[in-house]
Order: sequence, then structure tokens, then C-alpha cells
Amino acid sequence: MTNERHEGEQTMSILRRSAIIALATASVLPQALAANAAELNYLTWEGYAVDSFISKFEAASGCKVSASYVGSNDDFAAKLAAGGGVYDIITPSLDTVPMLRLAGFVAPIDTAKVEGFGDIYPEFSKESDVVADGETWAVPLIWGSVSLIYRPDKFETAPDSIAVLFDPALKGKISLWDDKSALYWTARYLGYDNIFDLTDEQLDAVKAKLIEQKPLIRKYWASAGELTELMANQEVYVSNAWTGLTSKDVNNLKKGFEVVEFTPKEKAEGWMDSMMLVKDSPNEDCAYKFMSFMQSPDGQCGLAESTGYFPANPKAVQGCMSDELKKERQVDNVEFVKSLVMWQQPARLDKYLETWNAVKAAP
Amino acid sequence: MTLTRRTIPGFAALFSLPLAWVLLLMVVPYAIMISVGFWTRQFPLFYPDFQFGNYAQILADPQYTTVILRTLKIAACVTVCALLLGYPLAYFLVFTVRSQKLRNLLYMSVIVPLWVSYLLRAYTWKIILGTDGALNSLLVSTGLVSAPLDIFLYNQTAMVVTLVYIFVPFMVMPLFTVLDNIPRRLIEASEDLGVGPFMTFWKVIFPLSLGGVIAGATMTFCLSFGDFVAPVLVGGPDGTMVANLLQTQFGAALNWPLGSALATLVLALVLILLQLSSRLDRAGRVDLA
Amino acid sequence: MTSSPIVALDGVQKRYGAFVALHETDLAIAEGEFVTLLGPSGCGKTTTLRLVGGFEEASAGRIAIAGEDVTERPPYRRPVNTVFQDYALFPHMSVAENIGYGLTVRSGRIGRAERDRRVADALSMVGLDGMAERRPGALSGGQRQRVAMARAIVRRPRVLLLDEPLSALDVKLREGMQVELKRLHRELGITFLMVTHDQTEALALSDRIVVMNQGRIAQIGSPTELYDHPASPYVADFIGAANLLDAQALGGGAFRLAGGQTMASRRADAAAGRKVSLGIRPERLLVASSAGGNALDCTVTERLFHGDRLRVELALDGATRPLFAEMARTAAAEGFAPGSRVTVHADPADVMVFETGDRP
Repeated sequence: MTNERHEGEQTMSILRRSAIIALATASVLPQALAANAAELNYLTWEGYAVDSFISKFEAASGCKVSASYVGSNDDFAAKLAAGGGVYDIITPSLDTVPMLRLAGFVAPIDTAKVEGFGDIYPEFSKESDVVADGETWAVPLIWGSVSLIYRPDKFETAPDSIAVLFDPALKGKISLWDDKSALYWTARYLGYDNIFDLTDEQLDAVKAKLIEQKPLIRKYWASAGELTELMANQEVYVSNAWTGLTSKDVNNLKKGFEVVEFTPKEKAEGWMDSMMLVKDSPNEDCAYKFMSFMQSPDGQCGLAESTGYFPANPKAVQGCMSDELKKERQVDNVEFVKSLVMWQQPARLDKYLETWNAVKAAP
Repeated sequence: MTLTRRTIPGFAALFSLPLAWVLLLMVVPYAIMISVGFWTRQFPLFYPDFQFGNYAQILADPQYTTVILRTLKIAACVTVCALLLGYPLAYFLVFTVRSQKLRNLLYMSVIVPLWVSYLLRAYTWKIILGTDGALNSLLVSTGLVSAPLDIFLYNQTAMVVTLVYIFVPFMVMPLFTVLDNIPRRLIEASEDLGVGPFMTFWKVIFPLSLGGVIAGATMTFCLSFGDFVAPVLVGGPDGTMVANLLQTQFGAALNWPLGSALATLVLALVLILLQLSSRLDRAGRVDLA
Repeated sequence: MTSSPIVALDGVQKRYGAFVALHETDLAIAEGEFVTLLGPSGCGKTTTLRLVGGFEEASAGRIAIAGEDVTERPPYRRPVNTVFQDYALFPHMSVAENIGYGLTVRSGRIGRAERDRRVADALSMVGLDGMAERRPGALSGGQRQRVAMARAIVRRPRVLLLDEPLSALDVKLREGMQVELKRLHRELGITFLMVTHDQTEALALSDRIVVMNQGRIAQIGSPTELYDHPASPYVADFIGAANLLDAQALGGGAFRLAGGQTMASRRADAAAGRKVSLGIRPERLLVASSAGGNALDCTVTERLFHGDRLRVELALDGATRPLFAEMARTAAAEGFAPGSRVTVHADPADVMVFETGDRP
């Protein structure tokens, strides 16, 4: 009997010991592997990690890039909140940068280690959300606009205002990005100019307007691909859209009709994506190498080419872009920013999110 | 006594894996979820706490009750439609198809779609119901309508149609089983007692198949209730369901405490439903032997 | 049998594809008769019953019940009710609901009070007073059998069909229920058509027995007729038991057995040279240690104890099949140990003769 119990104890302790060893191995292993393989985990938008330029980085740096993708700016915080230590670099838009800093998900950046940082448009690199508490938190990467897109063959007179998104005559033929930016568009339509700091009354008015608009909406689009499909399949005739991408994609399908982008008289919206360094990244070395690479001609031209957006570092693209393309991509024309309503983080981001969710939930 | 002592290691070896599975992947996550529901959120973070603010917010803000009621409505519609479709189908398979081979073949054809990706099956309906879709092509080519209609896609009806299509096998399976288990003698006995086929169905077959109806309805209802794909693919602006709300709270809105509280409420709701259905089932259970 | 029959089968046939379950069959049952269809499984007796009940469609021929052609009618439009083999009680209904079922659904003609009264009557007729609210699942086998009976008779059918009604009961219960069945038949005064494979049950209950074999009627007759005058070795062996001996007719009531010994019969004769089967019931074989008239020489091979009776297995000289004899347990009988040489006698009046040669 005593023997048996003794054996039992021994079995237990062996089990326990192997469990501890297994756990220890499990926690050590990724670090060991990471240290050996020089890895970079990149959470970004589709089109931002295309092999044409990423392979150049991998060859030059010896860092292996593995990319994951988000569908909206709000996904960055959600993914980082789900568990740390998974990503090294993220690329949120400017309106999400402060929130990630305040949430403690990211580390400040040693700009001295980012080659070419000084050549970035200062309008971006010195932006008040990029630089905070005396530290730089983001490395501007690329920028662009959100304009309106429509089917000229379905309109007698070309639309010129955001009002087209609220036109009852277009009932069932309107789409809108499933994003908090729907509030910005509506606020601007209602004539508010403090669109990133709306009062409760104004938010209520925006919400009411959006709910009133719901019967006119065929579908809120959640990705560029979905909007392309909605347009191509004749489900909708007008929507807001990421400038450059959707019109190109729809017209490439040759459906027998064209879609056209236009800037409403209330202005288009502008955005700027930048790279942020995730806190406690074990691959900091590769991360800095990557941020430097993305400010190089290979990085800036490569990304601008794959997305159709505007480079943030005009000096880097000098030698790798034709003059015509430079003009199209607003190189050295950062004044264009002034023609846009640049996104900022709303003063009460959670209130905005709540309002947008309430609109979507409404009957 | 020796037996007990000896069987303990064997018992542990046999059940440790499923036990660990249940503990790690069911009990612990649910416990975490329920406790996070009491946390406080200070955007963009949340802190451990014990307060009922999240529940108060859910009950006070009409957007949550609106969505929960809408989800209940859609799940109920799906369940009723699946029953109206699935019952005659199962009945036909069991009582009308004489050949065992043909019956198995037809039954499999009902079940086989389950092997096809859920997304693909839902997406198919988008292609069928769209303005440029198959249904409109048919209507236009047959001259029933002059121009494509946009009334089929991106609304709650499209969601119900899609969900019914996707979940009808879960209705047919239990119905087929219960109907197949009803002794043919009972139907003969009913007819022998002067009762025609129609009343035989209502008085004998239907009451004896109630267990399958309850099982199928419960499964269909719960599966539809938790669906989040149909609203995204074929639902319109008024299609948000509870699962989409949860997705948003845990994702974009970054409000895990509120999401957890909502998920706990949904869990409670589903548990109540399951309890109800098992009670109904027990009340109606009969010994077929 | 002078009045027109209550059930009449006229050339009825049932085929399943190439398989013939029932060959062309004629059968007439008189009002008030207790008729049993008897035979081994697969003989067509159940098929015949189901044809009458309407659960099977006849492949050919006509079926009439109470003078009306019901060949094309579904079960619910025939004036018959059935007691099913496994009772087929509705498990989701109480005993009273089961019995009243046939009255409730087509209740246009019957008022609720009348219905309740008839259910109560039926319950007490089968001795189940006080069981009305029970579910079938809470009843014993015998009680279920009674509910099935009550449910079938409450509609006052012209003919009651009984499909192996007692086969699911144990022996003791079965004997009790046989008496009940007989009583019910007498009290109700309606026609009973029963299917069974149990010859003792058939003999005990029936006015007439229809012995069936391989989809055909082998013989119809009263129990005594069938027992005393079977028309074929098959019937002789199926009703009661019979020692069957292959023999050749010698003329004048004498027959030579395969082994060369002879037997005489006073019951029938056959032309000399015809091949026949001689049938002698075991209880009509007298075993003795000494020779006598109309006797056969045998060796005892086995002796079986059957309570107050003994059963002796005998090897007949020159024959392959053994003989059986049954006798009372006398001192002499106790002496027939295996291996002892004996002779068996049969009264020529007890020797049945069946011609086995080609039928004309």
C-alpha cells in the first residue's frame, strides 16, 4: 500500500515536472526562435506589405516580415488588446494614433534611428498627434483622401455636394463606409465645423440625421472590395470611397458603365497613415530597420505604387517617380492637405464609436 | 475498495483530457467573460471592478434592446420557416419515399450542403438575390418584371432566407429521426380506427414527432440567434444582430466590459431557452417501445 | 353458412414483385364465426388478415365485407377493427383516450356522454376499470392487450381482426386470455378473424381453422375435423402431431412400409402400388414388449419424461425417421429403457392414409 502510494506520488511529481518543463519551453521557445530568425510582425492594411518591396527589405536587412491585416482603424487597438507580444509595427491612421499612445500599446520612437525621418513633410512629422509629451510616437508613411464616387449614367446633373448621400430620390442606391467617419460626413453636411469635437446636441443631431438616412442606404460597406462589388453589381450609385482605389477597380471590371470620383464642395476628407512601434517589441532592431526602409526610395515608391496613395516623404521619391506621377500623387504639394478635412482623433472617440454603433443598431 | 483505488488512475487517464478541455475551453472562458462584465471601462482601457454599470447601460440604451428583439424576431422567423420547410421534407423522406436507397440519397442531399463552407453558401444567396443576380435575370427574361428589382437583397427577408437555407438541415435531421422511429403500426392502428390520413397526422404523427420539432427548433433558433455572417453578407442597414454587436464591442468599440455583459445576457437568454425547450421535451416525451 | 358470408375473399392474390405471398384464394366467413388462420411464418396468414383490414392492396381478386366490395377501400373505410400483434397503442394517449380514439375523431354522430359511456363499458368489459387515466407505458403486457381489445371493440366492428393477439404474453397469461377471448366472442356476437401460429390456441378458440401453407389454404375445417381427418400429412403434422411413415399400398387396406413391415388401415384405402404416407398420432401408438395385431418391431432409443406422461422415441426397423409414442406413466411403460426391443400397435381405425403420389 505504502509502496503504491509512493509510486503514485512519484508519477504525480513526474507529471508535474514535465508540465513545468513544457510550460517553460513553450514560453522560452518563441523568444529563442525570434532571436535566431530576426523577425518582424507587421499589422497593417492590405496593399501595405506587397512582396515587390518587402522582399527588398528582407534581402537587405535579414529580417523576415510576416504581415497581418486590419479592416478598419479600430481593429488595431482591438488586436493589441487581445494579447501583447504578437506585433512589432502597426500602421494606424492619424486619428487613431493618440488613442494607441494613451492606451499604452506603443513605445515612443527614437527618430535618430529612423533614416530619412527628417525628410518627411514636417506638416506630418511635427503634427501634434505625432509628437506628444516631448516624444515622437509615429513615423508618417503615406497619405490620401476619401472622396465621393458615383455613376454618371444615373444622374442628370453631376452631384457636387455631400447632400447627394441624403437625397431621397436615390433611395436604396446609396452606400456609406461602415466607419465612425460617417459621423464626420454627416456633421459636415449639417454644417458643423468642429466635426472632431461635436457637442452632445450636435452628436444627437448627427445621429438623428444618419438614422433618418437609413432607409435610403442599401448597404454600409465594410471593405474596399465590398464597395467595388456593390458598385459593379449595380446595387448602389453613390457612396463615399477611398480615393483612387474603388474607381480604378470598378472601371477595370468593364461592366459597361463607369464610376467617377468627385470632391464635394464641402471638401473631401484626408488621412495619413504612420508606423508605430509596439511596446516591448522583441524585434526592435528589425522594426527600426523597417521604418528606415519605408522612408527610402524603395519603400516610398513601392508603397505608393501598390496603393495609389500619396508618399509622405517627398525626398525619397524624387528619383523613382515620373514627373507626371509626382503631380498626380501631390509630391511636394503638401498644400493639398489644406484642401482636405484631415482626420483627427475625435476628442471623445468612445462617444463617437457609441454613436455610430447606435446608428447601425437602430431599426 | 481496492477496485475504487485502482480505477482512479484509469478514470483520470480516460477523462482528464475531456475534463481539461471543458475546464480550459468552457468553464474558464465563461468565468472570465462573466467577471469582465462587471469591470469598468475608461477608454481606451478597462479595469477590474465589480459594478453593474454595463448592465444598466445595456438596459437603458434602446439600441441594445432593439437589436436583441430584432435578433429574437429573425431567429423566430428562421425557426418557423425552417420548420414549415423541413417538416414536409422529413415527412416526405420517411413516409412517401419507399425505396430505402432513394431515401438515404435524398437525406444525404439535405445533409451534404453542411460540408460546404458556410460562407460560400451564404454568399451564394447574395449572387441569387442581387440586383444583377440570378433571380432578377430569371424574372426579367421571363418578362415578369421589366427592370431588375432591388427588393430581394440587403434586407431582413434576405437574411431569413439565407439562414433558413443554411440551418434547415439542423431541422430536418432530428425530424427525420423521430419520424423514422414512429412505428408504422401506430399509423395503421389509427386508420384501422376509422381515422383518415389528415387527422392521423394531427392526432398521432405530429404529437409523436414533437420531440424532433423541439430539438430542431431549438438548434435552428440558437444557431440563427448567434449568427453574424448573414447580416454582413445579405443584411441591409437594419440587419445588425446581437452577434454583430458583440463583435463590435470586442473589436472596433474596444469595450470588453460592455461586450462581456451583453454576452452574459445573451448566454443567459439562450440558457433559459434551452431550459424551456428541454422542459417542453420532457413533458411531451413518450415511450415509443 | 347458409346466409351470405360476412367476409368473402374471391380469387384474392397478393404479389410483391415476383414473390407471391398469397396465391389465388377463396374464403368465406359466416357472421359470428370465430375463424383462425393458422400456419408457420411466411405461410400467408398475416397477409390475408392485412388484406381484409385494408393494410395491403390485393394484386388480384375481390374482397367483400358485410356484402360490400371493399377491395379498393382504405382501412378507415372498412367496418373492421384490428387488435395488433404488438397492440400498437398510442403512447401519447391515456388508456381512455386510446379506447375513445376511434370515437372522438369522427365524433359527428356520437355525443360526448355516449362516447364516455362506451369507453367505460369497453373498459369494464375487458376488466380494466380504474385504469382509464394511465398511459400505455405504465401498463403490463396483459393490460395492454386488454386495452388493445377494448379499443378495437368499442367501435362495434362487424369483424374483429386479431393478429397474433396473445403471442407477446407469457404462457400462464396466455391461457387466461384465451378464456377471455372466447368470452368476448360470445358476449359480443361479432365475427372474429384471428391469425396465429400456435395450433393449441387455434384448436382451443376457433369455430373453424384455416390451415395455410406457402401462400395457399391447405385445409379448412372445425378443430375436430382437422384433428381427426387431416387432408394432408402437412395438416396432420401441424394440427397435433403425427408419425408419418412412407408406404406403398398393397390393396385391401394393407400397406407395406419402407423397411418391409406391413400396416393395416381401416380409414382409407388406396389402389395397390400407390405411394402413400401413413399417419399415426403418437398417443395412438401402443408400445408393448410382446407382439400383437397390426404391430411394428422397434427399438427404444430415448425416453422422455413429460410429467404424468412419457414420450418414447423409437427406431423402426428399416426406416430412417424415428417414431414417437406417448403413453401414461405405468409401471410397464417405465420399463422401456433405451435399447429394449418392443413392438408398437396401432388400431387400423387410427392409421391415416395420405396419397403422396401424383395428384390426378
